[in-house]
Formats: sequence, C-alpha cells, structure tokens
Amino acid sequence: MAMRDDLGVPGRLFIVEGIDGSGKSTQLNLLHKWLISQGYLVVFSEWNSSPIVKETTRRGKKRRLLSPMSFSLIHAADFASRVHSQILPALQAGAVVLADRYVYTAFARDAVRGVSRDWLNRLYSFAVKPSLAFYFDSPLAESIRRIMDGRPKLKYYEAGLDMELSSDPEESFRLYQGLIKHEYERLVDEFGLVRMDATEALIRQQQRMRDLVRPHLSGVMRFDGGEIHQALRDADLLGRYLGEVSGRPPTP
Amino acid sequence: MTELSFYGFRPPGIEGETLPGRLIVIEATDGAGRSTHVALLKEWLEDEGYAVMDTGLRRSDLAGPGIRRAKGGHTLDQITLNLFYAADFWDRLERQIIPALRAGMVVLADRYVFSLIARAAVRGVSLEWMEELYSFALVPDRVIYLDIDVAHLLPRVLSSTGFDYWESGQDFLRGSNVYETFVQYQQMLLAEFSRLARRHGFTVIDARGTVTEIHQALRNVVDEAVRGMRELHVAGADQTVASAPEDLQVTRSERAAPSG
Repeated sequence: MAMRDDLGVPGRLFIVEGIDGSGKSTQLNLLHKWLISQGYLVVFSEWNSSPIVKETTRRGKKRRLLSPMSFSLIHAADFASRVHSQILPALQAGAVVLADRYVYTAFARDAVRGVSRDWLNRLYSFAVKPSLAFYFDSPLAESIRRIMDGRPKLKYYEAGLDMELSSDPEESFRLYQGLIKHEYERLVDEFGLVRMDATEALIRQQQRMRDLVRPHLSGVMRFDGGEIHQALRDADLLGRYLGEVSGRPPTP
Repeated sequence: MTELSFYGFRPPGIEGETLPGRLIVIEATDGAGRSTHVALLKEWLEDEGYAVMDTGLRRSDLAGPGIRRAKGGHTLDQITLNLFYAADFWDRLERQIIPALRAGMVVLADRYVFSLIARAAVRGVSLEWMEELYSFALVPDRVIYLDIDVAHLLPRVLSSTGFDYWESGQDFLRGSNVYETFVQYQQMLLAEFSRLARRHGFTVIDARGTVTEIHQALRNVVDEAVRGMRELHVAGADQTVASAPEDLQVTRSERAAPSG
C-alpha cells in the first residue's frame, strides 16, 4: 500500500519538508504569493491544524500522556482529517494545495521514536501523493542557531525531551534534530523528494522552486479576481483586509 | 505465560519477552451477552484466587473527548475516526492491559481490536488497512467469540437496551425503518466476525444457549488458558507477584486505580 496517486484530480499538491529552521516555510510563503499573483486558486494546509484533533493533542501534550505510539496515531488522525476535509476536496475542485510539512514529517518523527517504518508507510496509504515534494537541506548547526535566536524557550515535544536523549532542553533539541535530519536523508532517497540547498541565497532557492513548479501547472484552472477586485478598483481601495478574508492579496 | 507477541510489529516502549498474566478476549456483537459473561467469569476467577482486571472499549483519557465530539457531530470521515479509536485502544493496551499482565493478572477484555475492525469493515474501510493499523496489538492468549444469529439476538436486544443508533448502523445505512436497518447491519457485522474468527482462529462458543450453558463453556476455555499460572508464580520470574491471593488483591487495586 503506497500513497494514492491514481485519483486523477485536477488540482496539484506541493509540499515542503525539512528540519526546524531550514527556511522551508519562508520559501513556501513566497511560492504561495507567486501562485496567487499568477491567478491560481491556492489552499494552504498546515501541520496539526484540524480543530477536533487539536484539542486532543493539546490535552495529551499538557499532561504528557503521549507515548511514541499515541503520538503517532493522534497525528495520523489529525492528518487524515485534514486530507479528507481540506486537501482532497480542494484538489478535486482544481486548486493548488500547498502543505507546510506532510506525511514525511510523521515518518521521520515517528521512526526516530522506534515506530516501524513499514507500518507507517502502509498506515499513511490514504494520503494523496504530492505532485512535488521539496526537502530543504540545511546544516544542523545553522538551523539550530536560527531557532535558538528566535525562540529561547523550547517546548517539551519540540525539543524531543520525551526521547530522554538529554535532560537539557537545548542539548536534547540538538540531538533530536540530528536524528530527524538523518531520517530525512533516508526519505529523500526512498520517496524521491527534491533536495533544495537551504544554504543558497533565498531568492535563488525561490527561483529554483518556481522553475520546478511551473511545468506542473499546465492545465490547472486560474481564477481572476472578478467582481470584488473590480469593486476595489472602482472605489480606489487596496482591499488589504478583504484580501485576508478571501485568502487573496489585493491586486496592485 | 503470555508470550509478548504482536500481530505485526513490536511497538516502541514495550520491553520483555513474556508476561506472567493472561489476556483473554471476549468478542461478540452487542446484545450477545458479552458483558454478562465477562462479569460471571470475573466472579469465578476471583473465587479461584486469580487477580482479574476487566477492560472494555471504554474511552481512555487521551482520545475519549475527541471521539465523543466526533461522533456527536458526525463530522469525521471513517479513516480519521478509526485512527482515533486506534489511539484510544493503544492507550488502553499500554497503560492498563500490559501493566496488568506484567503484574500477573488475568485480563478479561470485553471486546478487542476485532470489534473495531468488523465495525469499520462493514462501513467500507479496507479490511487490509484495518488489520495493518492494528498490527501493533498484542496477540491474546485466547480470543473467544460468542456466536449468535440475528433471530436469537433480537429478543435480547428488545428486552434490554432496544435498538441503538450505532448498533443499527443508522449512521451509514439508508432507510428510516430501524428494525430493518438493525437486521441488515447485524447480518453484515456477524458475517464480518465469522470471517475474522476463521482468519484468526477464535475459539467459537455457541451463544444461543442459556446463560448457564454458555458460562460453563467459557469456563472450560478460560480454565485451560489460566491453568499453570500458579506454578509459574511459584517458580517466579516476577518476584513482586506472590502466589497468595491477598497479595494479588493488593496488586489488583493498585493497578486498577489509575485507569479509573
């Protein structure tokens, strides 16, 4: 059982993966802006965001109830809920779906905690195979520095403290991210992820991303702003807030 | 001695090769007399001096609230719902069942993964995927299936709880006639249970008889499964579990407390 790619949906799915601080979210946001400016209908999907599962994960984390298998199953439930209520319908409707982290995050995070890789593969067979999956490859020390600069206090699971690698959160985080990175290396080969050099200039990374995405966009529906944007132009307004509401930025 | 054997793979965090307790599973559709017989077996086993923990498919601390919300709102797809159930089942396996087996108790499970698999399968979830999902489950010492048909089930259900929304398959079957959906649903479910029984070698007990007859048949199976536990305790790989019934009772109440 592998991921589903026989669905024949009109939409496209692009995802980014990488350790914390690899710059993947920055690049995905830039891609998001570009796709919108090109007139594509874009749906953005975040990791751990479905409302029902959010509550459970929060409960589990707060009480530290989550053993590796609990962690794995709860996150799989969250992801399944997102696939069925958000990602799949959007792809069926012909949208471009962008996901900041995808199944590979679960594969890496659970495998380093001792969960069977074969089982994970088959468990996630309900997932839609991405059109393109990017892996942002960045040196460990650099990623850790970026995270530490911005967020001095690390959370329990984020720092991998449940793995008891070290009682010092910072040291634990370092060791944990190292294990995750190692697991990602394996996934890049196994699933054909596109490796991005995260040490390159940001603009060059973005250019490369757009070049790789472009060929996948042929035949995907576009959406012009229509009436709303005409109304904005007529009233000489930017539509900044309207843009937030509809998920589309104002046309300059 | 329960061998620590799993359907597919050993989940992380579970150590050891054997457990001194016994895991005995009673599977059946609702209304077949499952809980009655679990209660009777527990009485009898405790009378014999065994420390017993009974566990059902109650909701655990972890996923319980999520499942209640999901079922209440009918918002989740089957894959998500079954992953929630799996998280819930795992939580119980890890935090109740395995610790009790480690302490040398007889664990009577009022339903196990098979009920979850059968219910999902009749709702259209791939059987292959469901069995894969639960491949982290511990293989029980015995799985006893109380085999019943719809004709014998009907009077029991009518005289107790009546037709329940879920047990009549009304969440997915079309039709406003509750009696008809109940019959249709139970027939599908029983067929699925029979397939699972063959596939996984359940001990099948005819549940159409009287309570006394069924209890006697269950006793014979369970007696065979727990036989030898006393000798093993004396030989004692696990010194914390003594063979005296008083000690076992202490262990039992201590173990039972956190599962609340």
